[in-house]
This record gives sequence, structure tokens and C-alpha cells, in this order.
Amino acid sequence: MTSRQRPAQSSSPAEFAATRWSLVLSAQANDSPQSDDALETLCRNYWRPLYVYIRRQGLSLHDAQDLTQAFFARLLEKNFLAAVAPGNGKFRSFLLASLKHFLANEWDKVRAQKRGGGKTFVSLDYETAEVCCAADSGEGAPDAIFDRRWAVTLLERTLARLRQEYISDGKEAVFEQLKEMLTGEQQSIPYAAVARRLASSEGAVKVAVHRLRRRYRELLRAEIADTVSGHEEIEEELRHLFAVLGG
Amino acid sequence: MNMNPILAMMGLSGGELIIMLIAFLISCGGLAAAVVLVIWLLKRQSKTPIPPPSPPQLPKRSCPQCRSELAADAPQGLCPRCLMKSGFESRSGEAPRNTAVPSLEDIAKAFPQLEITGVIGKGGMGTVYKARQSQLDRFVALKILSPELSRDPAFAERFSREARALARLNHPNIVNVYDFGKSGNFYFFIMELVDGLNLWQMEQAKKPLAPEEALAIIPRICDALQYAHDQGIVHRDIKPANILLDKQGRVKIADFGLAKLLGTETKGMGLTQAQAAMGTPHYMAPEQWEKPLAVDHRADIYSLGVVFYEMLTGELPLGRFQSPSRKVQMDVRLDEVVLRALEKEPELRYQQASEVKCAVETIADSQITR
Repeated sequence: MTSRQRPAQSSSPAEFAATRWSLVLSAQANDSPQSDDALETLCRNYWRPLYVYIRRQGLSLHDAQDLTQAFFARLLEKNFLAAVAPGNGKFRSFLLASLKHFLANEWDKVRAQKRGGGKTFVSLDYETAEVCCAADSGEGAPDAIFDRRWAVTLLERTLARLRQEYISDGKEAVFEQLKEMLTGEQQSIPYAAVARRLASSEGAVKVAVHRLRRRYRELLRAEIADTVSGHEEIEEELRHLFAVLGG
Repeated sequence: MNMNPILAMMGLSGGELIIMLIAFLISCGGLAAAVVLVIWLLKRQSKTPIPPPSPPQLPKRSCPQCRSELAADAPQGLCPRCLMKSGFESRSGEAPRNTAVPSLEDIAKAFPQLEITGVIGKGGMGTVYKARQSQLDRFVALKILSPELSRDPAFAERFSREARALARLNHPNIVNVYDFGKSGNFYFFIMELVDGLNLWQMEQAKKPLAPEEALAIIPRICDALQYAHDQGIVHRDIKPANILLDKQGRVKIADFGLAKLLGTETKGMGLTQAQAAMGTPHYMAPEQWEKPLAVDHRADIYSLGVVFYEMLTGELPLGRFQSPSRKVQMDVRLDEVVLRALEKEPELRYQQASEVKCAVETIADSQITR
């Protein structure tokens, strides 16, 4: 396995041009297949926080599913972005704001139309989403619940990617054994005990844990980068999501 | 239906008993009673079954670090709060890299004619995936160049020019390029898939190699180099990771000419950037660092020398290094070959890869006759 070489870092705007939300923002009125694709993928990745928010509004399962589909259909329409003017903000804020706008102004009209008229955005896994709703049924303003679910979705996606990388490298067992060490301070990890448990050397465990944590951070930031429009926003978003999780 | 154990002893099943009862009631003229009984039975059957006992309540788990309760949806069973906190940790100078790391879904979308089955490797230049070409029913290697490296505006033009030359290389010891281009945001090569290991992996398992193994591999590399040099193409990045060995023991060199294509040696790119993009510098000829514009095919011969030295001794020829025969048991005549390939001045090295092959094979042949 060749070691990963790292190009020198630059914070040029060009580096951000390829992240999904940036693509969408820069396209705006002149949408291209790439920007359409990017928006659709973003919606696909982060629909659960929306669904949880919608259910929190007191809508029945049936209505919530309809609304979710209708909202995404509307969002992906050509002129929607131009009308809502996302500016330079984050995708997370944009999505919630758009939903609120939709709920206030358009949902009534859409609901009046016959059900099944519009195309289904994607077959969504409502069952799992309902589990999330149950998990998020505690106290808290709907906006905070949305953000919390967003944060958890982000973490799920990041861990899934990280795990997949290890699986691709034939190191699924390593991931499973070391994933607990993704949390907590690195210096307080009991390397000696872990090494004994894994029948490995302390040095090897240290290296493996370091690599895992580093790659996790990279993927987490990459995932966040996909939903913001500038380098400096990553840190801000990270802080916000940490606060939302009770940090 | 729970039946009286006495009835069970009498050998009557529940169903048989009911029928007898109904018949009895009817015969007694108790049709109404029979009907009531039938209705009662039907209602009992349609009652929902007794639910199974609920599973024992699992003890609530809490995060070992922050002690907060772990919800059932905790990602990978880990505390979301602490996971997010871990996202902050950053050493100084460690910057978020690969903010545009392509996910498998992105790749799959850009290459609808391919079925991506896995990742073969990642490097500074890009990522290589294993894929199946459904139409041709064969497996191939798909190399996607790093977005960072292809950000040069002049890249597109250079790419089409150089990639075409690389695709023309057709030799049994060179990984064949089937196709190249740009799909979506990705510059790519579709190449022959080599089912085996690379020399780096082989050396991880066993270092140094036996001299015979080295002597079997080196001439094949020379064949590949000579052919490419004759076409005017210099590899520029010969190293163990680029030397592939398939299950039949065939040697195939990968990534010919990519270093030049990616412009990692042209002026304008800072030395540290170039260094990082090119990977380990140990195999590069001195002139690749000192006089990059004067680099010619003899740089490959130097790299070949480093690879040869490492194969024989298990070490890199660094600083004032010893002759290979001083480090391992081998034919001392090979020293001369290795050392001459490793000459700092290009003029003093072998001038052609075929000369290296000739020298090595002469020694190998004479060993058999001994």
C-alpha cells in the first residue's frame, strides 16, 4: 500500500470550485448538468433533517412524505434557486429557509393538487427516518432539532466513507477495532492496553490510530466543505454543529 | 385455545370438541345457543394474538468521554458530540486536503459505461479503481487524476497531446492504456488491469529479494524502458510502486510519462509542491532535481539503478553507500552494473537501457554454466 502523498495546501478559491454547494451557487441562473447534479446529490444526502423537521410540525406520516417529495421537486426546478437567492450562505441554512418558505407559501396549493401528480424525487427510506424522528422527539425548538439531525447525518456520512475506505484497503477489522478511538483526546488513549488487546505493538497501534483520526478529520471537513461556499466557513460550521450537539 | 387437560386425556382435540358441542346443541333444539357459540368462537379467533413479551430493556449506554447518554442512532455506536469535537483537533500546518475527494458515487456517475468494483490504490497523482467494462466484459483499471494536479489551465491541451503519446505505447512490459480523456470533472485513463502485486508490496513481504529474482525482473524493465525511450518517452518516475508483477510473473511498468504530463517538473511549481506531488524522491536522478530541463532518458536508468540496488540489498543507496556485494551474498560482477547505473553524471551511466539488460543477462547466463 503506497503511502498517501499530500500536495501542499492552498486556500485558493479554485480548490473550492469543485465542492457541490459552490458549484450550485456559482451556477445559479446558468445551471449546468454538473450543478443540477450537485444540488440533487446534496438533497439526497441531507433529506433526513428536513423530514424530521417536517414531522415535528405535526404532520402525519402520509402528509410528511408527500410534502418532502413535493418540496424537493420544487427545489430542483430550474428557476427555484434564482427566486430564493441563496447568496453565499451555507447549504444547511438555505435548505431550512427554503423549506419554511415553501411551507408558508406554496404547500397549501401543492397539496390541493391531486396526489401522485408529481414525480417522486427518490424513494426515501422513511422507516429509518421515522426512527430518527423518535430519537429527536425530545425537547427543543424545531430549528435546533433540524440542526442536530443535520450534524448526526454529517457524522454518519463521514464514518460511512471512512469505513468504506478501510474496507477497500482490506482493513475492515482495523477500522472496527480502532473506531472507538475516534473520540476523546489522543493523548489519553491507553495505547499499551489496546496493543495488548489487539496482540500488536504499542508503536503500531499509535500509528494506526493517528492515521485513522487524521483521515477522519479530513473526510469530516471534506463533507462539510461540500455544503459551504468557502474555506473559512468550514471551521464556523464545525463550531456551530458542535454547539448544537450540546458542546 | 386452551383445553381442559381432562379432555386432552380423553383424546379429543379442541376442534373435535367444539363440533360435538355444536351438534349437541342443535340436536337439543338449541340452535340459538349453537349460533351464539359459533359467533363466540369466531370472535375469539379474530382477537389479536397475545403479544410476545417485550425484549428486556437494554441498559442505556453512555459515552466514555463526556458521559452523555448515547442515543440508539449514535453513528457507529459513537457519541456524536465527541465525534464532532474530534473534528477540531488539528496540528499546526495540517490543512484540510482533498476537499474535493471524489466519492464512488461521483465516479460511477461520470463513467456510466463502467462498473466500479473497488479501489486499487491512492497516490499523489490520483486514485486507481478496479472497474468492469460491461460492454467488453473485462476488468480494467481506471485512474482518476487528482483535481489539485489538473488545475493548471494549460493542462487540458497538454493532456490531450501527451496522453495520446502514452496511449500509443504498446509493449508486453508496459501497462497498456486503452482510453483517456475527461469525463465530468475528472481527467482519467482506462488501463490494463494487472492482477498481481507491485514491487513495493513484494518488498514489504520480503526484503531483500534473492539475486535470481532481481535478475529475472531487471531485464524486463530494461525492455520496457528501451521501447519507450525509442518512442521518445521518458518515464521519469521509475520506482517499486510503479513496477507491477502479475500472477504469471510478468513484469509491467505503470504510469509512463505521467510525471511530465502532470507538469510536476516544469518551472512555476515550487520545489515543495513538486516534491509532494512526486512522492518519494529517492529514486529520482540528481539532474531531475538540479537541472530539470536537462532531463533525458538517462534519468530512468538512474532510477533503475536505485531499484536494482534496493532489490539486491533491501536498502536505498543513500549518501556514501556500500557496494551491493558488501551487503549481501551475490555475484560481485553485478556491483559494476548497479554502480554504473547509479552514476551521478548522466554521461557516465549506461546510455541505453538495452546496455544494462545486456550486462545483466551476460552475468546471469554465465552463472548457469558455472
